[in-house]
Amino acid sequence: MELQPIFIQILALAIFAVGIIVAISRRNLFFVLMGIELALNAVNLSFVGFAKTLPAEASLTGQIVPLFSIAIAAAEACVGFAMVILIFRNRESVDADSYSNMRG
Amino acid sequence: MTNLPLWLIPLFPLLGTILLGTIAVVSSGSKKGAAENIVGGLAVIFPAMSFACVTVLACGMPESGIRETLCNWIDFPLLHVDIGFLFDGLSRIMLLFVTGIGTLIALYSIGYMHGDRGFARFFAYINLFLFSMIVLVLSDNLLLTFFGWEGVGLCSYLLIGFWNKDLKNCKAANKAFIVNRVGDIGFLLGMLCLLSIGGAAVLNYDIFNQFMQMILNGGHLDLVFTLLTLTGVLFFVGCTGKSAQIPLLTWLPDAMAGPTPVSALIHAATMVTSGVYLVARMGKMFCMLPEVLLLIAFVGMFTALWAAITGLFQNDIKKVLAYSTISQLGYMFMAAGVCAFDASIFHVFTHAFFKAALFLGAGAVIHSLAGEQDMRKMGGLLKKTPVTACVMIFAFFAIVGFPGFAGFWSKDLILEKLVSNGPVIAMPFALGGSVNVPVGMILYVVGLATAVITAVYMGRLIIMTFFGEYRGSKESEAHIHEAPAVMLIPMVVLTFGSIFAGYLWADMIGITFFKDSLAAALGGAEAVGESILSVHHVNPVLFAVLGTLAALLGMFIAWRVYANKKIPTPKDSGAPEGSAAAWTFVWDYIHVGFVFPVRVIAWICDVVVDKFLQAFQWTLGAIGEILGDGASTFQVRRVRLQLALSITGVALIVLVALFAEGIVGIPDFVFKLIDSVKSLLGRVI
Repeated sequence: MELQPIFIQILALAIFAVGIIVAISRRNLFFVLMGIELALNAVNLSFVGFAKTLPAEASLTGQIVPLFSIAIAAAEACVGFAMVILIFRNRESVDADSYSNMRG
Repeated sequence: MTNLPLWLIPLFPLLGTILLGTIAVVSSGSKKGAAENIVGGLAVIFPAMSFACVTVLACGMPESGIRETLCNWIDFPLLHVDIGFLFDGLSRIMLLFVTGIGTLIALYSIGYMHGDRGFARFFAYINLFLFSMIVLVLSDNLLLTFFGWEGVGLCSYLLIGFWNKDLKNCKAANKAFIVNRVGDIGFLLGMLCLLSIGGAAVLNYDIFNQFMQMILNGGHLDLVFTLLTLTGVLFFVGCTGKSAQIPLLTWLPDAMAGPTPVSALIHAATMVTSGVYLVARMGKMFCMLPEVLLLIAFVGMFTALWAAITGLFQNDIKKVLAYSTISQLGYMFMAAGVCAFDASIFHVFTHAFFKAALFLGAGAVIHSLAGEQDMRKMGGLLKKTPVTACVMIFAFFAIVGFPGFAGFWSKDLILEKLVSNGPVIAMPFALGGSVNVPVGMILYVVGLATAVITAVYMGRLIIMTFFGEYRGSKESEAHIHEAPAVMLIPMVVLTFGSIFAGYLWADMIGITFFKDSLAAALGGAEAVGESILSVHHVNPVLFAVLGTLAALLGMFIAWRVYANKKIPTPKDSGAPEGSAAAWTFVWDYIHVGFVFPVRVIAWICDVVVDKFLQAFQWTLGAIGEILGDGASTFQVRRVRLQLALSITGVALIVLVALFAEGIVGIPDFVFKLIDSVKSLLGRVI
């Protein structure tokens, strides 16, 4: 059976859901970050999936933009981990529930 | 033909500025400051290299000039401006003396500023000034000229207020800056008018000249005459600001609060003449506008006379020279007002030498008297500082127009042109009929009278400073010393300039080198003007004789009045008065008349508009704050739950958006749900 575009979207949705659930349900900050990254990459996948529905020359943009987004995600992950490490040094804990200083 | 790029000329002072500025900033923390010989060497070498470039280019310049476009600056349908340079006869003359005298004065400043805490800062400013001035003169369009115009204004401000510990200096600097802004508005509006007449590219000088030629040839002058006259007046307002003409002349005497080399370079030799340069550059336009020319000539005439009379009553040696600068600038505008642009540029050229020499001499006197500027406390310095005295006396002969010296050639040329080019205007009488007024004759007579007064007040300065008995205190007399060699060398060079610069255009002995070198650049503006003004030829020897007699008469009066006069010991201090207006300057009070309504408007704005707006703003802010306080109670104070709620919210918004767009149909169970709720409610009620 040929690869239908909708299958890619379903896969992306599944990965996105997994990412969000991980980000919400885990208390460990590293898992939260990993969940967010997963969700982000699911979106990239969805982008490429939609690009595949277009004719070849028009789909080029859709394939290139995720590359940029991956590069930016890498940079963002660096910053995110640096912040996590700083917070960890400060609080000696990676439990997201213990960070409640900033409540309004 | 050499192939030196033109951008090298402004590049050197710019490099100097960056380098010296860095040194100034870095050394500002240390106690001793940067080493003076290194800083001074750097400060002189960059202008000197610039001067060398100009000299090489000047020798190999083709008749039509060198044009060079660096890059595009502004490009949209209404305005097209390139960053480009134009090196022709006019900018060649200006650049030669700007960089040449700039180098000499930088050298002089090493001696004058010795031991000053802001040594490196001073030279950074001087280099920045030279950069701006070079851009002003070298640019090939009005907008880039305006950039330089603002740049020199900024440097003038920075250098007048150089000793910023004293509030008076800061006030003088502010005054110079603000009065100049008034003129700059004229310049800006003038450019706007010009754009509206000539289209997007007209700011370029070449296209400007072609455009004016087209108007003249095509006989379309009537169509644009009103707007063109307005343009001319607005540009002239710009010039009155920069060149200290009536009514914007009040800043220049106060600008003497700066160090003396600054007064020599900026407020005598170069910056203040940029107004004359601009008029000459745009001569093609001005020569078609007889009314504007008349305005220029009369403003120049009144300024020359007024400043000369004011100069008679000054006791501060630098203020006398400041008024004399204003007066000489008046001469230049008189010449420009009768379409003798080459004569006015020639006077700019010779004036740069002798006025710089006079100022540097005054600086040397002040230096030797440890900061004393009051002429009433000087006297008899001829024996104590012979070299300075000789420099000043030679420059004095140049400014009064003694035969053979530089001022003689240029000033008499201007006076001659006033008569030969001066228009005759039919002035209608109130009772009917009209009378022919020989404007040129009026200008000439006032100009000659000004020449007499010039000789009187300059003679007074020389007599009070160098002759008679020393009038200062005994202990200060022992400390009087001649300036160091580093100051004397530039003074002597400038003295040679003020003796021999005039021989570049000596009509009487048949040398017209200066006129010929300018002819291509001015592009026949004079010929057009002369055809409009109906020139009649006159005998130059007669004018030379009359001019010489005027100078001799003035010197004689000065000698009779001041040589044997007992000068009273001063009661008030001779220190520069900052922004305080002297009584001779009615113009300061006239300015107040304009400033007062502005202050009233400012007060209304402050009290009514500003407060009202603030109240409005505060109300909005308060509402926002209250709403924010309310919203913050929705926070659940737990990171993960917050995140989950945020995501749910985003998902809901997306869903609603999709429903609203009709992309996704609302499922049936929602309607069923609503129906059941309704029926439930109906049963309850």
